[in-house]
Amino acid sequence: MVEHTSHLFVISIILYFAGSLFALCFYGWQRVGNYISLILAAIASCFSIATAVVALSDGLTIRLDFTVYHAIIKYNFLLDPVSTYFILAISVIGFVAAVYSIGYTRLYVNKCDTRFLGFTYNIFLASMLLVVTANNAVVFMIVWELMTVVSFFLVIYEHENPANMKAGFMYLIMAHIGAVLLSVAFFIMFAYTGTWDFGFDDFRKVGSHMPLIYKNVVFFLVIIGFGIKAGIFPLHLWLPMAHPAAPSNVSMVMSGVMIKTAIYGFIRFYFEFLTPCPPWWGVVVLIIGASSALLGILYALTERDIKTLLAYSSIENNGIIIIGIGLSMIFKSYNLMALSSLAMMAGLYHLVNHAVFKSLLFGCAGNIYYATHTKNIEELGGLIKRLRVTAPLFLVGALAISAIPPLNGFLSEWLIFQSILNGFHIPSVIVKIITIICGAVVALTGALVATCFVKAFGISFLAMPRSDHAKKAKEVPVIMLVSMGLLASLCVFLGIFPVKVMMVINSVNIHLLNTNILPAITSYDWLHTKSVQTNFTEISPKSATVLGLMLLAVTFGVLTLIKPRFVKKIYETWTCGISPEPRLEYTATAFTRPFKTIFSNLYRPQSEVRTEYSVPNFFVKSMTYVSDVAPIFEKYFYSPVAQFVLSMSNMVRWVHTGSIHIYLTYIFITLIILILFVGK
Amino acid sequence: MTAEIILPILQILVVVGFSPLVKGFINKIEARLQCRRGASMFQPYYNLVKLFRKDAVVSETSSWIFRATPYITFISVLIISLLVPVLSSQVPLNFTGDIILIIYLFALARFFLVLTSLDTGSAFGGMGGSREMMVSSMAEPAMILSFFTVALTVNSTNLSNITSTLLNNSILLLNPSLILAFAALTIVLIAETGRIPVDNPFTHLELTMIHEGMMLEFSGRYLALVEWASSMKLLLLLTILVNIFFPWGIAGGLTFSGLIIAFALYVVKIGFFAFLIVIVEMSFAKIRLFRIPNLLGTAFILSILAVISLYVVR
Repeated sequence: MVEHTSHLFVISIILYFAGSLFALCFYGWQRVGNYISLILAAIASCFSIATAVVALSDGLTIRLDFTVYHAIIKYNFLLDPVSTYFILAISVIGFVAAVYSIGYTRLYVNKCDTRFLGFTYNIFLASMLLVVTANNAVVFMIVWELMTVVSFFLVIYEHENPANMKAGFMYLIMAHIGAVLLSVAFFIMFAYTGTWDFGFDDFRKVGSHMPLIYKNVVFFLVIIGFGIKAGIFPLHLWLPMAHPAAPSNVSMVMSGVMIKTAIYGFIRFYFEFLTPCPPWWGVVVLIIGASSALLGILYALTERDIKTLLAYSSIENNGIIIIGIGLSMIFKSYNLMALSSLAMMAGLYHLVNHAVFKSLLFGCAGNIYYATHTKNIEELGGLIKRLRVTAPLFLVGALAISAIPPLNGFLSEWLIFQSILNGFHIPSVIVKIITIICGAVVALTGALVATCFVKAFGISFLAMPRSDHAKKAKEVPVIMLVSMGLLASLCVFLGIFPVKVMMVINSVNIHLLNTNILPAITSYDWLHTKSVQTNFTEISPKSATVLGLMLLAVTFGVLTLIKPRFVKKIYETWTCGISPEPRLEYTATAFTRPFKTIFSNLYRPQSEVRTEYSVPNFFVKSMTYVSDVAPIFEKYFYSPVAQFVLSMSNMVRWVHTGSIHIYLTYIFITLIILILFVGK
Repeated sequence: MTAEIILPILQILVVVGFSPLVKGFINKIEARLQCRRGASMFQPYYNLVKLFRKDAVVSETSSWIFRATPYITFISVLIISLLVPVLSSQVPLNFTGDIILIIYLFALARFFLVLTSLDTGSAFGGMGGSREMMVSSMAEPAMILSFFTVALTVNSTNLSNITSTLLNNSILLLNPSLILAFAALTIVLIAETGRIPVDNPFTHLELTMIHEGMMLEFSGRYLALVEWASSMKLLLLLTILVNIFFPWGIAGGLTFSGLIIAFALYVVKIGFFAFLIVIVEMSFAKIRLFRIPNLLGTAFILSILAVISLYVVR
């Protein structure tokens, strides 16, 4: 069994790389090359889905060791339940995105080289799978870098636009700072392993005998190193730049699953390598998660570019996942293993939910862009009558992300709340209070998410079109709609049948935390529906849905009985005597105006009205209104850091004289110092 | 088994049937206190009957969202009325969900109402929708924290368990943190149901409208459903408040005599709280829109104090 499963995985990786190479073969026929590579990516994803399903259902742990003769690096891979859970998420999104891309890449035909898209896209998917399976620090860093570099090329795919280049370089620089910190973390831990292998298996034993001070250093290195990838505040800067710059089919994968590899890193380090953790680590992680969640959604709220809005919302959702991880760490450090499993379940459930609905939303944003060639929601409107299928799909995504029952976002939010409530088991009063305040933050975040997505859907899809782009929009190719429909039905499925998902996550928990909480949190009630139960309460989304449908049928029946012929007269909206115009509609800026006033300390809203007169002071020719929020993180965090780096490099500039003799002297001096150092 | 089927139906009938009366009662008392005669207490029923008989006018800019919203709003409130203990603390369907589900079902109704407000393309709707989201986002943390305080006191977020535990150990209700939570929830209730001083339910003026602004374009059956849903929301929130903090009299089981007594006391308790709402509405003017966050901030601070005092005292 183990052997077959490992073969499935190897086949899928080979198929990914085969797909990427095939894409390059078709020099003359770009579209054919692109299609073949995408179809191969979809098939490869099916293989890796199969790997994950088989491995998770049997709880297998598979080792793949490639022995290369006299190799310095040991190419070890491990597929344990943690890895396979991430493989499942990555390959499901990878499959849907590959199918979606078949339609979406038509946008780039004759504009960019679509073969290149297929080439990098396949490597990108494969590298993510390798990141979550690597069992050796060197291999991990290699595939981590591969993932970064490949996704950089995908971000700058439309490189004619200077803004995209800037976004890409910002991403590359920040990702590399993260990578450097991670390598330092690995080296510090390596010093205590006592072998030259750099294997994760050695790191798993290191936690018990590492001095606490070094553990703390590694903790902070890891939180910044992976935090940059996860987009936690204030290390988020690249995320809202890079995700919108990439083509939508790539943003789906980047936002849906790539940033989750950071969560994978957190789990590996904090639950396997650095154990046992002191409680305050969990508190730090929790606070970082909560502040990312709140700030992420506050910035998403004022955003007018639909893809930037979604990118900020990814920061928010990653924050919520990190809250789950942080709670799990806190509970684990107090040895409350069942609660730790519950919090981990909440975090991992939200992870897969976010992957599904965020890919759905990015896909629908891609549909909007495909149809209208604009991402600015102020120029949209009335799309519900033009993109008749995209609209309900986007609505499902928007409802799911706003945690509206019975869709999937609600269930994970509910589990997060249950874990937070269980914080009363924590012995320390301060930690208890911090957890419950995080609960308030999650509640506020939830309400703001609803506002944000009411705005995103309402302004771009409802009422009258605000520009010619929106007026001329036509529905996108069927294949894009089918793939999005798949994700939308997953949103419903994951929301209504939570026990199935929990069974999967439970096998992760059994491996990671040695606790099986599934029997404790599921039960049958008197109607024999399976419900989710904690020590506080129970919930059955299935029963709520059935109740809702029954009540709808009854209401409809009664209303038809009262008045069988219900006539709807169509008439124009009353706008105080003038005929309705798009100019009269509420805009996205106006919709979030109250929030700008309330949170003005954070936003520092700036607005300016310029008036041009044809006859001075009497007849207005045109008026321009500019409004924006101040980039306070750039101003107070990034520019001081950049200034500091620049001034430091100015200070050491005199060392670089440009003369080769001086450089040779430097090398000589370094050599002598090293000899002295080693000789001692 | 029969009781388990009858009680949900009874519950839904009480909530659906009496919610317009609560609104009528509030209006009547308010009129009397303002030395007016006022409309009959049963006026909301007459309005509903009239509206259900009429056809509807639908804006040509609107979409299927506009036509689906009244049903979604009505149904989500109906589901809630099955989950809240009204007459008996034992709710047969309580496994379906807890207080968190109830809060998010209200959010479902609000989500669609606000979408509809944008759907017709009129600026009034958008204004109402935007303000509604502002008020509810400010109110939600306070609401959730207050309910958490209650949940942590009795170790359950299930409303049936909360009510029956508090009924059997009424001494818990003297806990200062529960009193703080009650104060916070009262403010939240006024904000969520759109009463003075947060919103004025009697006007459709541009300056005051929040909730009414969103309903401006509805007519006929649609208006009836939305109006009915909003009066049910008022009654349900009052019921939750009353049955958590003043559970006395609610039936512990499913006996006939117990339910009769519970019903009589329920009417008295709801009547008293409706009267309190009238007093609040009479003694305050509507506050400015950007003062509302201050009021709800107070509720939030109260709820934080509630939960912290609970933890510290433990």
